[in-house]
Amino acid sequence: MNRFALLAASLLLAGAGAGADADRLKIVTTTSDLADIAARIAGEEAEVRSVCRGTEDPHFLQARPSTILMARDADLWIRVGMELEIGWEPPVLEGSRNGRIQPGRLGHLDASSAVIKRDVPGGPVSRAGGDVHPSGNPHYWLDPYNARVVAEAMAERIIALRPAVEEAVRGNLERFRRELDGRMFGADLVAEVGGDRLWGASLEGTLEAWLEERDAAARLGGWSLAMAPLRGAKVVTYHKSWTYLLERFGLEVPIELEPKPGIPATAGHLAAVAELMRREGVTIILQEPFYSRKAAERLAKQVEARVVVAAGSVGGTPEATDYMRVIDLVVEALAEL
Amino acid sequence: MIFSRSFRSRALASVFLAVQAVAAGAAAAPAGAGEAPRTPQFFNPAISAIVDLYYHYDDAEEGIAHLAGELSGFGHGHGHEGRDHAGVESGLNLRHLELQFSADVDPYFKGLAIAAVDLHGAEMEAAEITTTAMPAGFKLRGGKFYSDFGYLNARHAHQWDFTDQPLIHQWTLGVHGLNDRGVQLSWLAPAPLYLLAGAEAFQGSQENLFAHVGHGPLPAHKGPRVAIGWLKAGPDLPGGHGLLGGVAVGTGKHQEEHDGDGDGEHDHWLDGVGEFLSADLVYKYNSPRPYGQNDFTVQVEYFRRRKDLKLVAHDGAPELVGGRRVDTQDGYYAQVVHGFLPRWRAGLRWEQAGLTNEVRYPSDDLESFGSSRRLSAMVDFTPSEFSRLRLQANRGMYQTDEGREEITEIRIQWMISLGAHGAHRF
Repeated sequence: MNRFALLAASLLLAGAGAGADADRLKIVTTTSDLADIAARIAGEEAEVRSVCRGTEDPHFLQARPSTILMARDADLWIRVGMELEIGWEPPVLEGSRNGRIQPGRLGHLDASSAVIKRDVPGGPVSRAGGDVHPSGNPHYWLDPYNARVVAEAMAERIIALRPAVEEAVRGNLERFRRELDGRMFGADLVAEVGGDRLWGASLEGTLEAWLEERDAAARLGGWSLAMAPLRGAKVVTYHKSWTYLLERFGLEVPIELEPKPGIPATAGHLAAVAELMRREGVTIILQEPFYSRKAAERLAKQVEARVVVAAGSVGGTPEATDYMRVIDLVVEALAEL
Repeated sequence: MIFSRSFRSRALASVFLAVQAVAAGAAAAPAGAGEAPRTPQFFNPAISAIVDLYYHYDDAEEGIAHLAGELSGFGHGHGHEGRDHAGVESGLNLRHLELQFSADVDPYFKGLAIAAVDLHGAEMEAAEITTTAMPAGFKLRGGKFYSDFGYLNARHAHQWDFTDQPLIHQWTLGVHGLNDRGVQLSWLAPAPLYLLAGAEAFQGSQENLFAHVGHGPLPAHKGPRVAIGWLKAGPDLPGGHGLLGGVAVGTGKHQEEHDGDGDGEHDHWLDGVGEFLSADLVYKYNSPRPYGQNDFTVQVEYFRRRKDLKLVAHDGAPELVGGRRVDTQDGYYAQVVHGFLPRWRAGLRWEQAGLTNEVRYPSDDLESFGSSRRLSAMVDFTPSEFSRLRLQANRGMYQTDEGREEITEIRIQWMISLGAHGAHRF
């Protein structure tokens, strides 16, 4: 009995010790992309950890004891939302017994709340259509605009939780936005006209005209310039996970290698994909490293396309060290820079 | 109602009416609500139904279900007179339809209700309230629920990696496992490792290990009559690795009534305690690959039960009254499951029951029996999150009162889940 008492006492002490640096906000995100953005926004004011590593497919994650520990100690839980984490998040939040981070509380941020959503089903949804997400396609973080929106939501939430760090966080947000906008449109152009106006035109789909009107088209840089030659091109992807990125730059995704979301490629469907690629002149197949490359490589041979394997998340490949590098890498690979 | 002809019980009909009412409410809502069409639906509980069909074949002369009464040391010897739930038929079997409702109740509690419906009627599988807002890592739970001892007990049949229960659980607790009216207090320690401790009190109406008759020659004991304590611990492993170990002990009142001469009337009665001890270890590797490819699980569980009973009355041999009968049996299973292709898994399970298998009779004679063992192999295909097909083969060597019996079983299982997307805990 004495030993039990000792054990219990030492555990309590360990717990109290862990609470000593309670001033530093503990942020846990479900994915590595959210973690990277949160770390940029919170800066020195928080400790940020991600549940899912970039090499993992976030759909197929399983709750583990270590995940519950992360949730137990978190002050702020940030999820992608749109049912991406539905298979494992509920038992983690419940198992954490952490009231601060339950849905609806200040310590629970659903990052999808303000983003631009795509593929939102218009009518009734049926699982006969595969792993359909009733709120829309959850891979929104690959649209740089959405990363900007998510960063703003994170900043607001961190400030709400720790008003004392407002100044630092606003500064971090401003730096993040400036860097992101610069990578998107070119730093010179952003310095000249401001990121907000460029995004406004981009969201309306009138960026080119807007730039020409101002005689600024030649100063366009960054990802937008790199992707400009591909505008209107079609790309086939493995899963419906690149729509946000490709559509932001004016590309189209006519079909995926998955016959339906969440169902792996089948021979019959691949024949239909090959047929469509030939008919529409599709020459790029894009996928994440965690999917098998066999199907894509076979197709590429059949229709003379090239396979682009790119990280869809931070840490997905060793080079994809932060969010902006993720976009850099896929843009470079697509545009063959 | 297309159901009324095939399903006899009124309880069942009322369950379906309740489901229909909820579904109708959800369906009717969008038409009238205009601007926020889905709002009324948000407060409806998440509903799901599990349909679990399997084909069973075995080469036992009298069918595998017959075996249960003849197992040395594990034979049926309790007061429960209901139908035999373990009764597996050769051919097509339908496991009970599991109707599940769950929702947050308010900022303080959440609720879960599960009705188990089979061809004979409906049963309450779970009806529980859990706190969601207790501080310091505490959680209180009450109602009818599965004890959280061990790994498999709290998991429902459709969550198992094999179509059937391990022998030791089936023979000592029965197909329902340890599920009873009770309360549970658990605590997640603020430790650098995952450490969860739980204490449970159950009324004590578990039919095999904690049965209560309470009339005739048997005294009535006040409830709750069963106390269980468990501890689960797992290190904070990086990457896709997860490890969780657990130990549990339980003790409670137990009574039995027997028909020794087979004339259809009980003729001797026992009263005393049932106890168990269990240990489990689960390792899971969650591969980065999609569709469960390369996921890997190792799972081992040990269970030991002891029934220490006193003969309180014996119509045929009154001189034995006051003598003790002590049953001690144990067993374990060990299994591995591997995702060898996208959506495909294969598993092997080895088990032994009765490593310790002895009975001390009121006459003070001690009898020891041998152990039974079984090897199982399965392959399953999971087309989506909501359906699964499985092929399983068992080869068992069973210690019965008539000697050793070897039985081969084949099962083909087909199950689906309708409704809410389930989430998997570790």
